[in-house]
Amino acid sequence: MSVYICTVCGYDYDEAAGDPRHGIPPGTRWEDVPADWVCPVCGADKSMFENQGGKAETPAPAPMAAPAGQAAPQQGADAKRLSATASNLARAVQKQHRAGMADLFTQLADFFDGQSSPAGDWQTAADLLKEDLAGRYPAAFAAARADGDRGALRALNWGEKVGKIQANLLKRYNKEGDAAFEGSAFFVCEACGFIFVGEQAPEICPVCKVPRFKFARVGRGASA
Amino acid sequence: MIAVRNIRLCTKDCLCLFVCPTGATNTDNGQIDPDRCLAACRACVDACPSGAISKVPLNYPPQQPKLPGTLQAMNQLLDSRLAQERAADAMLAQAQTAIQRQFAQAMKMSLRVVAEDVLRESGYMLPQGQPARAFLNSLLDSPQPAGFPREAVERLLALLG
Ligand code: SF4
Ligand code: SF4
Ligand SMILES: [Fe+2]
Repeated sequence: MSVYICTVCGYDYDEAAGDPRHGIPPGTRWEDVPADWVCPVCGADKSMFENQGGKAETPAPAPMAAPAGQAAPQQGADAKRLSATASNLARAVQKQHRAGMADLFTQLADFFDGQSSPAGDWQTAADLLKEDLAGRYPAAFAAARADGDRGALRALNWGEKVGKIQANLLKRYNKEGDAAFEGSAFFVCEACGFIFVGEQAPEICPVCKVPRFKFARVGRGASA
Repeated sequence: MIAVRNIRLCTKDCLCLFVCPTGATNTDNGQIDPDRCLAACRACVDACPSGAISKVPLNYPPQQPKLPGTLQAMNQLLDSRLAQERAADAMLAQAQTAIQRQFAQAMKMSLRVVAEDVLRESGYMLPQGQPARAFLNSLLDSPQPAGFPREAVERLLALLG
């Protein structure tokens, strides 16, 4: 009997114990766990698990070099970057309890978000994300390790895990459409971006461990 | 240093009002008046039974300098993550069902948090830092589209001192 670990949240699937609360009896071998079973803590699918002490059946692809050059500077890409720079600074001043400055940075972020043009679809996003997980994250981890940049390593650690969950959700949505999320709500961790799909946000974020109140619920009637 | 109150933790016991020598803790908006708070005092921090008040510095040390290798790799990630956000924008604009809309919105929020985190670790940890100032100045120095909130940027630069 072996143990498989969720690479997003660290949950152990122990073959001896199974996951009886979700219909997997004790003693169920990993290969017999149904393909649509997901991590009971964070919702990651089976492909995100690794055999403890070794890689799971699908070995991770060797990190490819990050794609050279800029990612095709389309119109509107610059505006997005300005928007994100401003919204990040809004969060920074919020943490310093400077509400007035936060409003000004948010005003700036909203302005540039309005200037950026929407482009692509879920396939575009899924393809880019796949490249990130296979190439850009490993390359950035290597660079940050070489530079001894602990802050960057922390951000990469969260971002990669969140990326895996995003990739999972896109895959599920691509396969099942709206039915994939019928009857559930979306909760987004405001600290790391982790997305939880279910009835209630987890007590603590499986990726960055902040308490439940840091989750924002995406409302039913939400509009653009 | 100035005293700030975490409203989430505040249990409204009002001991901070009792101990403050200047009345800085007595405000209508739930925050502590930074203009009346004394730099060397921490009476309310120690008196608060809920651990809701702390003193935060007005000046921060510069962020650890970011090295070019890390910066370049983070930059490529940022471009990709923001391109994904634009895809989410497009899906949000086209959404027809409540689930499509919510999924696109959740992805957009999530992608933005990730992008902000990359920026935070690319030199934009603090608004007081040099990169943030350079960012704001560059906005003023280059042509901007109509509706650009120029006064907001000028006020920010003034507030950052
Ligand atoms: S003493 Fe603490 S808990 Fe009481 S009102 Fe002041 S900040 Fe709030
Ligand atoms: S630190 Fe002192 S002066 Fe400042 S708000 Fe608290 S009690 Fe008042
Ligand atoms: Fe989180």
